[in-house]
This record gives sequence, structure tokens and C-alpha cells, in this order.
Amino acid sequence: MKPAKFDYVSPSTVEAAVAALVASNGEGKLLAGGQSLLPLLNFRMARPSILVDLNGIEGLSYIEDRDDRIAVGALTRHRDLEHSPLIASKLPVMSAAMRHVAHLAIRNRGTIGGSLSHADPAAELPMLATFYDATILVQGPSGRRTITPREFFVDALTNCLEPEEIVVEIEFPVLKQDGWAFEEVARRFGDFALASIAVSVLRGPSGLEAARVAVMGVADTPRRLDEAEAALVAMELDDRTPDRFSEVVVSQVSPNDDLHASAEYRKHLLGQLAKRALQTALAMKG
Amino acid sequence: MNSDRRVTPSDVLRPRNVGAPIKRTEDPRLLTGNGEYTADRKPDRPLHLAFLRSGQPHARIARIDTAAARQASGVVAVLAAEDIADDFKPVIPFSRMPNYYATPILPLASGKVRYVGEAVVAVVATSRYLAEDALELIDVEYEPLGAISRAESAVAADAPLLHEAAGSNVLIAREFKKGDVAADLQAAAVRVGGRFEMTRKAALAMEPRSYTAEYDKRRDAITLYTSSNIPGIVRDAVSEALGLPGHRLRVVAPDVGGSFGSKGSLYPEELLICIAARKLRRSVKWTADRLEDVSSSSQAFAEIVDAEMGFDENGVATSLQADVIGDVGAYSIYPWTCGLEPVQVVSFLPGPYKIGSYRGAVRGVATCKPPTGPYRGVGRPISTFVAERLMDLGAKALGIDPLEIRRRNLVRPEEFPYRIASGIIWDKTGFIECLEAAAKAAGYDQLRSEQAEARKQGRLFGIGIASYAELTGIGSRIAVAPGMPINTGSETAKITIDSTGAITAAFGVASHGQGLETTLAQVVADDLGARFEDVRVIQGDSDEVPMSTGTFASRSAVLGGGAAKHASKLLQEKIKRVASHLLEANADDIEVTEGKAVVLGTDRMVTFKQIAKAVYSDMKTLPVDARDELSATYTYDPINGTTAAATHIAVVEVDPATCFVRILKFVVAEDCGRIINPMIVDGQVHGGVAQGIGAALLEELVYDEDGQLLTATLVDYVIPSAPEVPVMDVVHVESESAVAGGFRGMGEGGTIGAPAAIANAVADALSPLDIDVSILPMTPERIFQLIETAKQKSKGKTDE
Ligand SMILES: Cc1cc2nc3c(=O)[nH]c(=O)nc-3n(C[C@H](O)[C@H](O)[C@H](O)COP(=O)(O)OP(=O)(O)OC[C@H]3O[C@@H](n4cnc5c(N)ncnc54)[C@H](O)[C@@H]3O)c2cc1C
Repeated sequence: MKPAKFDYVSPSTVEAAVAALVASNGEGKLLAGGQSLLPLLNFRMARPSILVDLNGIEGLSYIEDRDDRIAVGALTRHRDLEHSPLIASKLPVMSAAMRHVAHLAIRNRGTIGGSLSHADPAAELPMLATFYDATILVQGPSGRRTITPREFFVDALTNCLEPEEIVVEIEFPVLKQDGWAFEEVARRFGDFALASIAVSVLRGPSGLEAARVAVMGVADTPRRLDEAEAALVAMELDDRTPDRFSEVVVSQVSPNDDLHASAEYRKHLLGQLAKRALQTALAMKG
Repeated sequence: MNSDRRVTPSDVLRPRNVGAPIKRTEDPRLLTGNGEYTADRKPDRPLHLAFLRSGQPHARIARIDTAAARQASGVVAVLAAEDIADDFKPVIPFSRMPNYYATPILPLASGKVRYVGEAVVAVVATSRYLAEDALELIDVEYEPLGAISRAESAVAADAPLLHEAAGSNVLIAREFKKGDVAADLQAAAVRVGGRFEMTRKAALAMEPRSYTAEYDKRRDAITLYTSSNIPGIVRDAVSEALGLPGHRLRVVAPDVGGSFGSKGSLYPEELLICIAARKLRRSVKWTADRLEDVSSSSQAFAEIVDAEMGFDENGVATSLQADVIGDVGAYSIYPWTCGLEPVQVVSFLPGPYKIGSYRGAVRGVATCKPPTGPYRGVGRPISTFVAERLMDLGAKALGIDPLEIRRRNLVRPEEFPYRIASGIIWDKTGFIECLEAAAKAAGYDQLRSEQAEARKQGRLFGIGIASYAELTGIGSRIAVAPGMPINTGSETAKITIDSTGAITAAFGVASHGQGLETTLAQVVADDLGARFEDVRVIQGDSDEVPMSTGTFASRSAVLGGGAAKHASKLLQEKIKRVASHLLEANADDIEVTEGKAVVLGTDRMVTFKQIAKAVYSDMKTLPVDARDELSATYTYDPINGTTAAATHIAVVEVDPATCFVRILKFVVAEDCGRIINPMIVDGQVHGGVAQGIGAALLEELVYDEDGQLLTATLVDYVIPSAPEVPVMDVVHVESESAVAGGFRGMGEGGTIGAPAAIANAVADALSPLDIDVSILPMTPERIFQLIETAKQKSKGKTDE
């Protein structure tokens, strides 16, 4: 289990990294934390001609407060997000989710840019980007552009980037909310999720004024459930609300059977988590 | 060879080390990264092997084209079956068992491939990277012959044959019988039964299999460093296969990072690396990567058992019958044969219970999968699972408490030695004592009231008991694997005090995590009269003792420990004789302790160093005929071996929302005889139970209908990690056995009891829903399906 031969460069600027990608004619790969890429190299499932290491680029790792938005540099490690007081106060759903990402050693190296780009359908950060409707800033040969999560996550393990583009920053809007929850079930602590849901609610004069719902592990990409959000806002709030919400959520997904769980079991799990998540969110006092 | 001389308690004057929780002497080097594993060997300019493995489950090899690979950078040789045909004799896993077909062990697939992962071509290159690059240039043309993926379909008359010469896919068939089971079942007040299954499992040692063949040009000799736990058996087999006498073939198992049985058979790669080293006159290294380890090391379980048990109205089990089908994979293994695992299921099925009549039939069936082989507990994890489920089913049917029904059926203290219905004889062991101790430690009655309370709240709370017995430290009268021709019934200890006064104790056993360097030194220190820290233990090296096998089947404390005791005594006699000259005292008045010989009741003494000097260097002190080399060798054979037993109690709760099982409490009460080191015994129990939790709840190798392994990585093959393993309570019931030292083997028990206890606990938790547990692992998915089916059923009932 040794990788095929590859070259290696360690540029010190994003521009130089883009240039290295351009020079590789689509055969190059970016190396961030290496936590997903290296196994693929060792299995020879990825055979890049050259690895362009992002770790030597200064200024790609930061968590920045921009009032109603939080900007995160692409090379920011999972562990930094997990322990950031700023994230805890402004993006509490992310803060709660981060400890479910893999294990400590992996969180020490894995990066947000790598996680989004790898686009695992059961990974937390792609789901969080979808939940928050983050703005993904990428840089390519012709400059910078922004991409929404809906565009970015094309399919399982597939993003919409051009081969010469690099994710440089992710900007998360701070949500107006007075209740939220993140729920996940994995076989073991730190495993990829069998099912997971994030919920946020904003109360109005009567019932809810706004709601946000995103799920993962139950489709080829993380998903925002607009219909469930609308249905939740329209619901009367009583003891039966979590059950009704759970039914709506489940009706919105059609997962596949796989080695770890059947479609019915995943739906069952998601339903249970949806109920629990809404109960938690509604129990919070603004 | 000497047989057992019963050691009386007075032989051990003052045990200081045996029984003490001494920290393992291995640990400082292992924990600081200073261990030396096979892959750490650095022979001069070694070559590296990589294997091209079959992606086909069953196919004729039509053509192998290695021309391009031979030209590739760094490649020294490319070897396929025909390139090495004249370099070895196949190793045959012979057995005297009737109805058994021995498939030969070949280094590389010859003629056809029989499972995905079987080695077909070996590339030898200057680095592993270059060797793996060259693999991609090899072209093998296969003619598919149809996958044989399920044992049940492989026995069909029209199934393709994996080994044509065998004439059948059934490689082994056997039946055990006692009494008239049919009549007894007929007469039984209650009959319970079912179809039970334990799926295929990987042993998954932390260190994958690893071999380094170091070639000595001057003597055409090889030293094989191997991660094996049977270096002695490997030495003898490779010696035969390659025609290399033992003094030109040394086999060493250095530090070994676990085996759990998966390193306990001779492997094709072990043969191939020696063939390659000799052919190329170079040292060669290979370490399996995780994928190779999971897909080509021997696997475990894979058995389906149709079983039925009959009880009288008092809950006494009268009769038991079982038909076992074992999916043994593509080949028989050396030396244990493919009968090892499935045959043990039927020979151990009656377990610690006095069941009057028995019929147990087993078939081991070849399929396109890696061979099954020894796995911690061998056969007994599943025999215990089945017998303990049946006990609980009987208890339920009769309205008897599960604890009480076991009391009524276990062999009682006054009934030993007891021959169970399959023919195994249990010597005196604390069966009932373990049951009662576990119940007490768990607070059994209290647990039942907690359960009643929990059930009122609708919680799925369950308690599971499993009792088992096993044979350990097996001597020469019993074959570890049925009909096996090699002797595994004895072990040698050679203890020497050299001219510096240093003590070295050499053994043929081969620790791969059990801590034998510590425990054997404890035994030697006490019986020789030395200080623990002065005893160096050498093990796992075929050059150290004339014949050995290794460490398996819970034998090393009993056989190695017994040999250590006897050899220590012999050497102590010599020490006393020399000391009696030096101290001018009667040998009977001399006590040997703490590395000194002391005249009892005086302060006159000589140290081992002074004694060594007198014997070896100082030519004046001793008469010539008293200069007897300070060394003693003893080969110990416990003849029958001894029984070990335990009761496990698991308390679980099933979360109906997630269908996950949480283990709330786990208690083990075990009888391993006199304990050498309680810390090591606890560690072995903890580790065994952790693996048992894997078998009960998590681990499963899944092969699809095309013989492809779907769980080939540790993302998909899920093993317990720290959060899945609860704190355990281990109670020691220390009843001395009749073998030397009073020891019993205990390396495997944890894995035997835990799956059954957890299965019973989960079944108990789910019993309000009328659900039975008959397959392991009980994954959340399986629990979900069971609950769904139960809901449908009860809906159907209310609809009616
Ligand atoms: C055992 C294990 C368990 C795990 N469990 C989880 C889990 O539970 N949840 C979870 O979310 N993740 C999990 N992970 C994955 C982990 O979070 C990784 O860190 C993450 O998926 C990839 O980040 P990385 O920085 O290591 O990326 P790398 O492995 O370096 O790269 C991944 C991919 O992204 C590309 N890439 C990297 N950076 C950029 C960039 N800035 N712009 C464009 N493309 C880029 C690379 O070229 C590569 O294709 C697990 C990993 C392991 C090994």
C-alpha cells in the first residue's frame, strides 16, 4: 500500500499554488491536512503527478469576526474551530458539531478547505456550510469567485471546482436564532455519521418566524431541507410539533442502502434525531 | 521426556513473585518505542517483496505475463508458481481424522486461484515502492470458474468444486454421539432450539503479519524473523519444505504485536520469503499492509449452528443436538487443519453442563474466502453462544431464572473429574464457584429488581449470563487440533547460570503480548531462589531449545510455567551441591533465596556469582567432579492439561431510538488456578472481553456473492475502541489445578464468554418485544430490523 510516484512542491503563495496546478495540466492535487488524500494515494485510487502542498502558505489559517459574518481561512484546522470561543458564541451549531469530526489526531491536521473539497456526504463541515449557507471563496488563474454550498457539493466526493481552483476562505453568516440543536449518530464516537441533523429556530409573535434544517448521511450530498423549514414555520407549537416535524423531515429524504445501514434504518434514525433536535431547540430560551 | 511430578506446596518455600502484580518487564521498551518487531530488522541491503493478489474469487490462471515487470526499475526477480516449482515441497496439513481432505499449502497460487486476496505473483525489488510499481505491469489472464460464496450452497450436488481432487466442497465432516438423543428429546418436558450464527471475523492484530528472511551466504543458512506465534512449528515446516536442517534455519519471533490466532499458522508468504532469500542469496523483507492483513490472514468463526436442547420439568438439560456448518474458506491450514474451528464447536458444545445425551455433527465447507484458522477461543465463542442461548431459552420456557437454571445444570464440585457428553473430561474447577461469584459481584438480585423498575418505564434493560469451560495447557495425550500428527503437548525450559553469575531462562514459547518474559521470570525467581530482576527470559527463538512449538491454546503458563518450575528445581539442587562444598555444610541445610545460598539459621552464605566463579573459573576451590555446569533443562508434559472456567454477566440497555446497545455493567468471575500475576490476568480478561464485545456488537467481514470483501478497511470493519469498552469487574476464583504450579490457562477466556453474555443480555432486553437473538454481531441495523419485524407481527396480531 504505497503511493505511485509523484512530484511535490511547497509554494508560499496562493498564486504560486494556482500556477503549479495550471502547470500540472489537471494532474496535480492540493495537499492540506492529508487526512483524506493520503489514504487515497496509498490505495493508488488517486495518482496525481504532483502534490501541491498548501501548508507552507502563510495567512490561510484564521477565524475572523466580521460582525454578522465569521470568516474562516481554508487551512484552519478542525481543532481550532472546535476550541474557538468566537465560534462557540457566534456559530454554536458548528461548535457543537466539531467534536463529532473524527478523532483528536485527525482534527489536529484536517482542515476546513480539505473537508469541504473532499465533499464526503457524511462529513460535518460540508453539512455546516450547507446549514449556514456559507460563502465559499475560491481562487483560480483568473482571480477569485464565490460559490454557494448548493453549487459546490455536486455529488458524493465531488465538488464543482475547476482543476486549477483553490478554496481560500469560507464565510459563515451569523444566524438570528433563539434555539438550535445538532444531533448525530455514528457507529462509534468519531466515525462518519449514519445520520445527522442541525436545526435552528427563531421565535415570532406567534409560532416561529424562521427555521433552518440541514441533514447529512442520508443523501449523496449534505442537504438543506427547505420544505421542512417552511412546514416547521407553518406549524403550531404544541407537544405534537416534534413528531410532526420528524415526519416531514423523513418524508424529504430517500437514502440508499449501504454496508453500514439500510435506507429504512437511516430514515428511522433521522426521524428520531429530528424529533430530539427540535425538542432541544424549542426548549432553549432565546 | 519427563512426565508431571506433582509439585507439593512445600516445594515453594516462600512464594514472593508468583501471585504479585509485578509490572511487565516488556513494557518500558515497548511503550518507549524501543521494541524490536520483525519489520525493525535491518539486514544488509535487504530486498523487498510485494504480492500481486487475485482479484478473482475462483478462476483458472490461463497466462501470467511478467516480462514488463522484470524490466521495471529496481526489480530483482519476479516469481510465479512455475518459477519456484523446484524449490520446495508443499506443506500438507495432515490429520488422521476420517472424512478430511488436506489441501496443500503452496507459496503462490498454482493452476487456479481460490479467493480474492490469494497471492499469485511475488515481485522482489530494492524497495517496496518499486516492487508495488512493478505489480501494476504484470498481466494475469483468468478464466472465471464461478464464485463459491456461501457454505450452504457449496454443499449442493451441482456446486462447482473448489478442489477437484477432494471430490466435494466438504473438506471435513465429523459426528459426536452419546446416548439416544432422539428419544431423550422426545421425552423432554420442554424443547428449545434455533438456528444460530456467528459471522466471519478478522483477528486484526495491531502489527500486521511481517517476515524478514536474513540470508547467510557463508553457510547457505536462513534466519527467519517472523511475527508468528508458532516459530517452532514454522521452523520444522519450513525445514521440511526447503530441505534445510535446523542448524541452517533459525526461526525467531521477536517482539510481536498481537496475534489472537491470526499469526498462529504457517503462511504461504512465510514459505515464499525463505524460498526467495535462498534463490537470490539475499535478505528479503515483507510486511503486510492492513488491506493484505485483513484479506489474507486467517479469519474466524463463520459458522451456522442448528441446535436443539431438551429439558425435564425441573429445568435439567437432558439432551442436546446440533448440526454445524462451518465456512472454512479456500484452504486447510498448517498445522491445525480446517477442522480446528468447526470441529471444536461440536466438541465443546455441551460446555460445563451435565447433559445426558448428545449428537453433534459438523461439516467444514470450502468457499472462496481466506481460510479460517485459530482465533482466540477457537470454536468455543460460538459453542458457548449457542449453549448459553439455549439455556436462557429453556429458562424462559420453564419460567426458571437464568441463574437458577445454570445452578441446576453445571457440574458440581463433588462430581469432578467429569466427562461431558462430547467426551471431554473436566478436571476439578470452580464452575459453580464462578457462577455464584459473578452473581454476587454483579448484585444479581438487585439487578433483577432494577430491571423490573426499568421495564415499567418502558426501557429495554437486559441481563445476560454466560458460563463456559475450556481445556487449557493441553498435554501430549490430547491433540490441540483433531488428528494432528505433531506434538504440542510439551515445552522445554533451559535455565543457565553463566560464568558471571547471570541467570538466563530459555523457552520455546513465544509471547505475542501475554507478558511471558515477566510471568516466567516470576516462576523461575521463586523456584530457583533468585531475584526477579536478575532473571532474563528468552523465548520465541528456535535456536534456544531443541524442539518447541510456540504460544497458543492457552498453554504457555501451564507448559512453560511447569517446565520453569521443574528446571529451576533441578538447577537449585546443583547450586546447593556446590554451596555445600563452599560453605562446608550439608546440602539439606542450605536454602537458596534472593540469588544466594544460605546455611539455614546462620549468616554463612555465597552468592550465585561466587558459586559461578567456583564452578567455571576458580580451579582450586572445588573438586573436579563437583564442577557441574550450572544449567538445567526440563521438558514438561502435563499429559492431559487442565480446565479453566468463568462466568460472565453483562447488563445492557438497548436504545429504541438508535437501536444501539449500551453495556452498563460487565462482570467476569474466572478460575485460572493459581495466579502468577493478577495484573496480567486482569489485562488478558479485559482484552478478551473487548474482543468479545467486537464479536457481539460490531465486527463482521462481509463478502458479497462474487467473493469480494466489502469490509476491507477499518472504516468498514468496525472494531471496538475505548468508548465501546466498559469498565469491567474481574473476580478471581483461584482454585489450584492438578498440574505443576496449580496454574490454568487463561489467555482466551474473555473472548469466549463475552459474546454469549452480551447476546443473552440483548435478548433479555428485547424480550418484552418478543425478540430472540440468534446471530452475532447484533448491529444497530439488525436490532432495528428485529424491532420492525416484531412491530409488524404484533400489529398483525392486534389486527386479527
Ligand atoms: C479515520 C478518519 C475518520 C474521519 N472521520 C471524519 C468524520 O467523522 N467527519 C468528518 O467530517 N471528517 C472525517 N474525516 C476526514 C477529515 O475530517 C479530513 O480532515 C477531511 O476530510 C479532509 O481534510 P484535509 O485537510 O485532511 O484534506 P486533504 O486530505 O489534504 O485533502 C482532501 C481533498 O481536498 C483537496 N483540497 C485540500 N485543500 C483544498 C483547498 N484549499 N482547495 C481545494 N481543494 C483542496 C485535496 O486535493 C484532496 O482532494 C476522517 C478522516 C479519517 C482519516
